[in-house]
Amino acid sequence: MTAQHHEQVREPLVLGNPSLRDVTARIASIVESKISMKYLLTLGFTATMAGWGLFALYYTITTGIGVWGLNNPIGWGWDITNFVFWIGIGHAGTLISAILFLFRQKWRTAINRSAEAMTIFAVICALTMVLSHTGRPWLFYWLLPYPNQMQMWVNFRSPLAWDVFAVNTYFTVSALFWFVGLLPDLATLRNYVKSDLAKKIYGFFSFGWTGSTRSWHHYEIAYMILAGISTPLVLSVHSVVSFDFTVGILPGWHTTIFPPYFVAGAIFSGFAMVMTLLVICREILDLKQFITLKHLDNMNKIMLATGMMVGYAYILEFFIAWYSGSDWESWIFINRAFGDYAWAYWTMFTCNVVSPQVFWFASARRNIPLMFIISIFINIGMWFERFTIIATTLHHDFLPASWGYYSPTWVEISIFIGTFGIFLTLFLLFAKFVPVIAIAEVKSILPGAQPAHHHGHDHDHDSAHAAVPAVATEGGH
Amino acid sequence: MSDRTHKPSSMQQWQSLGQLAGTVEPQGEFQAGVTEPAQYSSGLSRRGFMALLSASMAVTAASCRRPLQKLVPAVKSNQTLTPGLPVDYTTVWTTGNVAYGAVVRCREGRPIKVRGNEQHPVNAGTASAAMQASLLSLYDPDRIRRPRVGKGQSSYDNAVQKIADAISEATSAGKRVVLAIDEHASPSFAALLNDFTVAVPSASVVMLPPVVCDNAVVANRAVLGVAAELVPDLTEADVIVSVEADFLGTDPLAVYHTVRFAKRRRPSADGTGMSKLVVAEAQYTLTGSNADERVRLHPSQFDAYLACIEQTLRAGSVGSDLVGAADAATRKAAEAASKSLAAAPGRAVVLVGRHLSPRAHAIALSINTSVGSMTSGILNPARSLPMSGPRAEGVTALESDMASGNVHAFIAINVNPEYSGSQSFKAALAKVPFRAALNLYEDETASISHVSIPAAHYLETWGDAMAIDGSLSLRQPMIAPLNEGVPGIEDTVIALARKVSPGAYGEGVESYYDYVRARWMPVIGGTEKDWANVLRKGLIEGQMPATTYNIAEATAPLAASSAPSGMVIVAVPDLGVGTGADANNGWLQEMPDPVTKITWDNVALMSAQTAVSMGLCASTDPKDVVRANEQVVTIATERGAMDVPVWIQVGMADNVIATQLGFGRTKGGSVCAGVGSNAFQIVSATHVSAYHAVRSSNVVSGKRHRIAATQDHHTLDDGNGERQIAHSITTGDLAAGKLKDHDLNAHYYSKEKDRDGRYAVPLSITPDYQYKGHRWGMVIDMSACTGCSSCVVACQSENNIPVVGKDQVLRGREMQWIRIDRYYTGDMTNPDTVVEPMLCQHCENAPCENVCPVAATTHSPEGLNEMTYNRCVGTRYCLNNCPYKVRRFNFLNYNNDQKSPLDLVFNPEVTKRDRGVMEKCTFCVQRINDAKYHAKDAGRARVLDGEVVTACQEACPAGAIIFGDMNDRESAVSKARRNERGFHVLAELNVRPSVTYLANVRNRPATVKSDGGHH
Repeated sequence: MTAQHHEQVREPLVLGNPSLRDVTARIASIVESKISMKYLLTLGFTATMAGWGLFALYYTITTGIGVWGLNNPIGWGWDITNFVFWIGIGHAGTLISAILFLFRQKWRTAINRSAEAMTIFAVICALTMVLSHTGRPWLFYWLLPYPNQMQMWVNFRSPLAWDVFAVNTYFTVSALFWFVGLLPDLATLRNYVKSDLAKKIYGFFSFGWTGSTRSWHHYEIAYMILAGISTPLVLSVHSVVSFDFTVGILPGWHTTIFPPYFVAGAIFSGFAMVMTLLVICREILDLKQFITLKHLDNMNKIMLATGMMVGYAYILEFFIAWYSGSDWESWIFINRAFGDYAWAYWTMFTCNVVSPQVFWFASARRNIPLMFIISIFINIGMWFERFTIIATTLHHDFLPASWGYYSPTWVEISIFIGTFGIFLTLFLLFAKFVPVIAIAEVKSILPGAQPAHHHGHDHDHDSAHAAVPAVATEGGH
Repeated sequence: MSDRTHKPSSMQQWQSLGQLAGTVEPQGEFQAGVTEPAQYSSGLSRRGFMALLSASMAVTAASCRRPLQKLVPAVKSNQTLTPGLPVDYTTVWTTGNVAYGAVVRCREGRPIKVRGNEQHPVNAGTASAAMQASLLSLYDPDRIRRPRVGKGQSSYDNAVQKIADAISEATSAGKRVVLAIDEHASPSFAALLNDFTVAVPSASVVMLPPVVCDNAVVANRAVLGVAAELVPDLTEADVIVSVEADFLGTDPLAVYHTVRFAKRRRPSADGTGMSKLVVAEAQYTLTGSNADERVRLHPSQFDAYLACIEQTLRAGSVGSDLVGAADAATRKAAEAASKSLAAAPGRAVVLVGRHLSPRAHAIALSINTSVGSMTSGILNPARSLPMSGPRAEGVTALESDMASGNVHAFIAINVNPEYSGSQSFKAALAKVPFRAALNLYEDETASISHVSIPAAHYLETWGDAMAIDGSLSLRQPMIAPLNEGVPGIEDTVIALARKVSPGAYGEGVESYYDYVRARWMPVIGGTEKDWANVLRKGLIEGQMPATTYNIAEATAPLAASSAPSGMVIVAVPDLGVGTGADANNGWLQEMPDPVTKITWDNVALMSAQTAVSMGLCASTDPKDVVRANEQVVTIATERGAMDVPVWIQVGMADNVIATQLGFGRTKGGSVCAGVGSNAFQIVSATHVSAYHAVRSSNVVSGKRHRIAATQDHHTLDDGNGERQIAHSITTGDLAAGKLKDHDLNAHYYSKEKDRDGRYAVPLSITPDYQYKGHRWGMVIDMSACTGCSSCVVACQSENNIPVVGKDQVLRGREMQWIRIDRYYTGDMTNPDTVVEPMLCQHCENAPCENVCPVAATTHSPEGLNEMTYNRCVGTRYCLNNCPYKVRRFNFLNYNNDQKSPLDLVFNPEVTKRDRGVMEKCTFCVQRINDAKYHAKDAGRARVLDGEVVTACQEACPAGAIIFGDMNDRESAVSKARRNERGFHVLAELNVRPSVTYLANVRNRPATVKSDGGHH
């Protein structure tokens, strides 16, 4: 098999055949380049969004949840919708960094760093929502099991208590995983940047990385272990989040399909969000070389697959509602599709099930404007999925006398906008000051980056030597 | 010191304190006129401090107000004032000329709960919503605190002097002085006013009740020679035919009637023993919603309907000339009604709404005579509303006298004609040179008065009242007037008489207390002990005076129906705020109307067909009909016009609009001002509650007025009929043994039966609770329940439930722990209503308990689902997961910032909840604990059956709520649970509620429709 032949079978994951130094220079230069006015304006805009949201949050906490649109049948609205939405967004990062790592999917290297960052920022947004949604948020620590003079523990039977564990674990592991993965690149930046202050900061955070074989050895093991820990989280976190609903006895919530359906939905929405941001990043930071159409194509395939899973779940829910013979169950689903919130349901259905179908076509999977639009649709659709599950279930449950309707107030909308502000602000800071692409890992997949290998031979064996220390440390020299 | 220094009265104490101490000169905050406490900047010497301290002790001891009169606790009460323990006192509550015996629970001298007096035969320990809510009015911060003369505050003495001067002017000018009073039931007050007119000959008393409608009195006077309104006793009535007599709803005697009516609404297992209620009406009243047979009639058919019945039942009828006016439907309905009546001789009665024509009342009397209810005692001319009589003549005469300038002074005593009067009356009133008002509030009339003297609340003053059975209750004050120096109305009348004529009321009458005492002492035996006994029991049993009467054909032909054909409107007292005197009461404003579920507003109720004909919606399809709701229409009669939002009410006759009185207050408190619109504007002054022809009705285009209804109009069209949540069966079903081997929850239970013969419940994933001691449970008889909503206010008062206001109700955040769910079944033009009081079910397998992450809601060893407010962080998961949606969340700080003295209304036994905390029905756990405490005190390990009475149960006039220990097989609640009509709401969820409902029963031959539910 020749290299040429191989090219025809598999596209290269990095275009332009850059040298190792080129890769370092290209990515590190983003950090080193002068802060542009455009960047500052954008950052100012997103920070204003975040500030506005935080103001709305302040207003909520000082005045009461009553400033939201919630009422007696509907105890959760945009708060938990946003929480599940943001937690879901995070899942793509974990999937890309952990599962694709373990499966040796090398194309992940171009996107894993930013996807992981998104995970962390999304979980921060989710935590913001979940911490502020309680009636007395200043008592949030009561949700944690800690020894106290009241001799009170959390109620281990409550899915919300499970949720606290799941989300905290998720945040901790994701942050660690991300940071450990960053170590070699931070060291690279430490060596690359010119300013003393920046050198000190990157130096501090690179924990004295020397690039020795010993460092690389520890790094590899740590990374592998964290990937191992993260992998079940991809499945468990959103399963536990779905228990918030399934453990409830309400028709529309109390279904066994929720855990897999939520996980699929989370990955679906996460990839959509990664897609939305990467398409922009790729343009603005000029990373087309690293984030190629091949990457985008792969992600679109995953979105198509998970979108179909979600669609399957939507339809199966209806079947089971009918098949169960439960009047409550069948009524709630009819109400979901044709009741007061039918507009939300059909928005969700169209965005999530219909729109990704275009990705059956290879040309569509490589059409950047189209995939951008579809990814936005999916973001919207997945938000509405959570809204539909929460609002339609709660607004009409068992006793018609207690039925109600819910619409958000400006405060809830502001908080949601604020979480986007927080997310985008953090992402912008990340994109500017942290290597957006895992330099060390990308180097490992450059054509010819595998010294143990004879060129022209079967690349399928590359996986055994995914990250070779000698190659990766080269960037700093 | 604290906030007490804000009060002028306390200021005086502090001023004298400085002098008492002898070391501190009045300065800073102690200076006269300074009402805000200043900060101490200069140091106070140790000596000075000690002197101040001892002086304040002396002042505290000396400043206690001495009891002027001795209060006597009720029979069943702690007999001494022990700090921390409540003392109950008897008194009497009146609305118009209806009196109910009351027991008021006081804590440390502060009234915290008004309930019925068990010893009193009329209400038998139960209470209406308005009666219980009167407690809130006591603490209303909007009550007037100081007398006013002209624009400025005045001393009481000066204000009385001003009125006396006006009376003297009138006397010298030979003009009338009018004391306008509301209807009342007090013999002493009547005598007091009579003595006043003797002492002040120019004065006369005019009854000026908000609702003037003499038709019943006119008919009774003509036919029976009794100028009074008769009161039926429905205990023995097997068949009741009501022609828009809303005796379970807007009738002030509704509690009395409900007590008796409900006794006959619990059929035995074979379906016997139940009364039959036939209702012919144009509105959809609470009574109509409880009917076994209900027919919609246009008001113009009422007389004809009665005439048709009469014609069938007796020859030589008084209404024969009206028969011809009946249309086919009326005739058919009348035939069915007469069959029912004829089948129960001596045990059937026809009741007629007081707004129907005198002729209709005469025909009804004729029917009642022929079916024997006049002789069997269901109706007894001696049992009438005390001091009822014709009012219209006096009102009309007063109006013309005022208009012609014959009245010099108009003294409004507890009446508000500026609000409830007709346009012409108000114009005439404006011509009176001197106006004064004696009232609790600076209301519309007070604000146009030259002198306004505040009146004390009934819980602050002595008095008496006579109930319909002739029994007399003394009105015992519970607390000295909160607004110091504000006496009762009666004391002001005495003071006024003495100003005009110093010798009035003679020696020895220092106050109204002496007057009442002097009046009744001889009657009851004359000793202090007798007096104490009367106070203890709360009444002197009455003997109904034997009245002789002859049933005569009316000498003069009585006027037949004035109800016009075509579009008509009627204004009826609101089920919450009545005719407006209670409008400043948040509990009543926020109590959902049992029929419409509307709070905080009055509306124009009409059928869907009427809305279509008025152009409010395109068709009677439910989707169109809901669009008619909340549209504002201007409705004009020949009396005036009002803007009112539309609300579609199923079951109403077409071309009929019903609206509610008591709204549209402009002055008289911060709660009532601006709520709804004033329906008094469109009705005739002498036939307030009658039907009036609608001259024009115009949709105010583009204007919508949002209505805060606690149950949505969704229930009109959504859902499916399969929801087995509110079962309704018929006596025919019971007779056919439908429930003998069949359980209403059978679709859910397993096949095996337990020791009670009930089907066993399915297994649960968690181990079952073992209840070794008590296990509390409740049974609610939906057949007895009329939906009156008395329990809603009872609970609100007992459990410190906040009033949240219209805006929050609109957002669906009403806080009441018990609500009356209303489901319509059957034909939507004339549906049945099934009411289902819904409160926390205290599930054994509670879905709220396992989802709370902080274990704030837990199961007690006695089966209660307990809410620990302190632990709650407010995730609201329990609310979401409650299938009954009975949990209430404090979205905002509803209970804080209560204006003084409103904060005194709280029950100290119950925690006040802050924002961010979930709350719900506790089964009155404070009462359970109290009973357990007493049992322990008495050396008993267990609480006896009946020792714990929940607030809702206590208030329920229908006795529909039974509470007790389910572990005690012989307890009332256990027995009731074994009733074959019992079922659990949502039993299929296996949440195992502790509340058992007994199916609603309609007295019908066979199943007209399948098990209830919701269409």
